[in-house]
Parts: sequence; C-alpha cells; structure tokens
Amino acid sequence: MIIVTGASRGLGQAITERLSDIGEDVLGLARNTSGMNIDAIECDVSDYASVKNASKEVKRMKKPVKAFINAAGVASMNMAVTTDESSVQKLIQTNLVGTIYCCQLFAPIMLRQKYGSFINFSTIAVALALKGESVYAASKAGVESFSRTFAREMADFNVRVNCIAPGPIRTDLLRGITDSQIEKITSQQVIPKQFQKSDICDLVELLIDKKAASLSGQVLNVGGV
Amino acid sequence: MNIKQSKEIIISAINDALEGKAEITKDMQLIGGESLLDSMKLVEVCLALEDLADEHGFEFDWTSEAAMSKSRSMFRNVAALAEEFANQSEV
Repeated sequence: MIIVTGASRGLGQAITERLSDIGEDVLGLARNTSGMNIDAIECDVSDYASVKNASKEVKRMKKPVKAFINAAGVASMNMAVTTDESSVQKLIQTNLVGTIYCCQLFAPIMLRQKYGSFINFSTIAVALALKGESVYAASKAGVESFSRTFAREMADFNVRVNCIAPGPIRTDLLRGITDSQIEKITSQQVIPKQFQKSDICDLVELLIDKKAASLSGQVLNVGGV
Repeated sequence: MNIKQSKEIIISAINDALEGKAEITKDMQLIGGESLLDSMKLVEVCLALEDLADEHGFEFDWTSEAAMSKSRSMFRNVAALAEEFANQSEV
C-alpha cells in the first residue's frame, strides 16, 4: 500500500491517480474525503491527534506500507513583512509540522517491515531563495532539513527518505500567479521551463522504485538549480 | 495485566534485544547516555512490545507525549516502562 496525504486535490490527487493507474494500492489521507474514488481516511496533517488516529487505523489494516508521500501543503506568496501572523502559523504548522507528524507517526510501520520510502515535498524556492516566498520557503527548508536527518535515522531499518522540490506547478496553490511571474521563476532553473504535475508523478514513481534503492536523504530540485 | 507480569515481559524483550549480554534490573535506563540500548535497539524493543501487547489484546502506544518526554518518559527505566505497559493493558 502507498499512502498519500493531501490526496483530494492538487499534486496529491495527481500522484494518487498516477499510482492507482500503475496498479498500486493507494490510501489517501485528506481533510475532506467526500467524492474521492479511492480508499481514504479523513486526516488533518497539522493536527497531531488526527494523524495519530489515521496511523492507528492504518496499523490495524496490517498491510505493508511501501511508501508514504507527504503531499499535503499550503502556499502563500508574500513578502515576509506583508504575511499576517495566522498565515505564518498555518504555513509552518501544515508544511513543516504536518510532515514531521506524519513521518514520526507512520515510521513505526516501516521500521517493523524494515523497508519503505518516505517522499516529502519541498520547493525550488528554497534553493533559489525566491523573493516573495520567504515564509513558505522557510517552512519547506525545514522539511528539507528534517528529511535529510530523518533519512539517517531510518537508514538502519532500510527505510529511505527523500524530498522532491518542484518549481511552479499549475495547481490551486498557484492561484493568482501570472504566467510572467512563473516564467521569472522558471528562468532561474537549469532547465528553464515550467514542469507539469505529470513530471512530478514520474519522479514519485522513480523514488518508490527498487531502482532508487541507493537514494536517501536527497532533495530533487525539479528543473535543477 | 499486573506489574509483575508486565515487568517480566519488558525484561524478556530487552534481553532479546541485547542478546542476553547484560543483566537487566528495574533501574536500568533505557534512554540517555547510560542506556545500554542504542536507538535502533530501543525501537526493536518497542516493536516487540507492540507484538506482545497484541497477543494480550491491547495496543501499546510508544509514540505518545509521555513516552517521548525525557523527564517523565516511560523509557527512563525498566520499572517505568513496565508500569506504563501494565497501565496501557488496562485501558
């Protein structure tokens, strides 16, 4: 089984659909599971008790968990000085703390199996220090740092941890961002083009594959930096 | 499950993790600098306790705040872990 957070929309939904298409048994976690056409559990990743309940439910299923994909996230494109307090809290709580909660509470399942793969999501804004994304990038820089260290903690148990750091991908998170703003960002990548959700799904497929057994503690910057 | 049964289970699980290479007392620390268990061994003990709890018909939760906090952690010594394991068996 592969578990995907944020599975009801955006990148999480695209990953869920791709994995289902290639025959994987996918379990989605989302705050609102109504209308989802895969097995799903309601879960707010920013709420410890909610993640814990979901992890208990999964443990009771007694199914092996091949991969856990932390795709849930929120974005806010603002300068630090114009980001309100609640947005700061929400960004850190969902993107960073939510990823930590999911990793720590679902890790025991993989520790027991002595295999598995976590995929966490960062952003190319971390490496490029993109103006107007300071708080969002800070939350994701935390995810990168956590993932690198968590990878070392999991390595003795044959569990891999990696990050994918996409550039601007057309999802709800980019609502209100103009094409010229996107081009300004993508022009800073090694491959200066806008990648699509399907490109990210390809990387997810790569990272969960046995052929990626040598990759852990890595951040894959989409498009290159 | 009473404390005596719980303690026997805990000692057995730790003994297995340490492959019988140390004498296990109720005061033996399970975390911190003086622990004989490294983090990997401690996880192995926890997973073994999950299985043993399952055999006894309850869920052992070792990821709770009480488990992780060093000052009142259930891992501060064997006796504390035995007490918590017995407590969780009653829930």
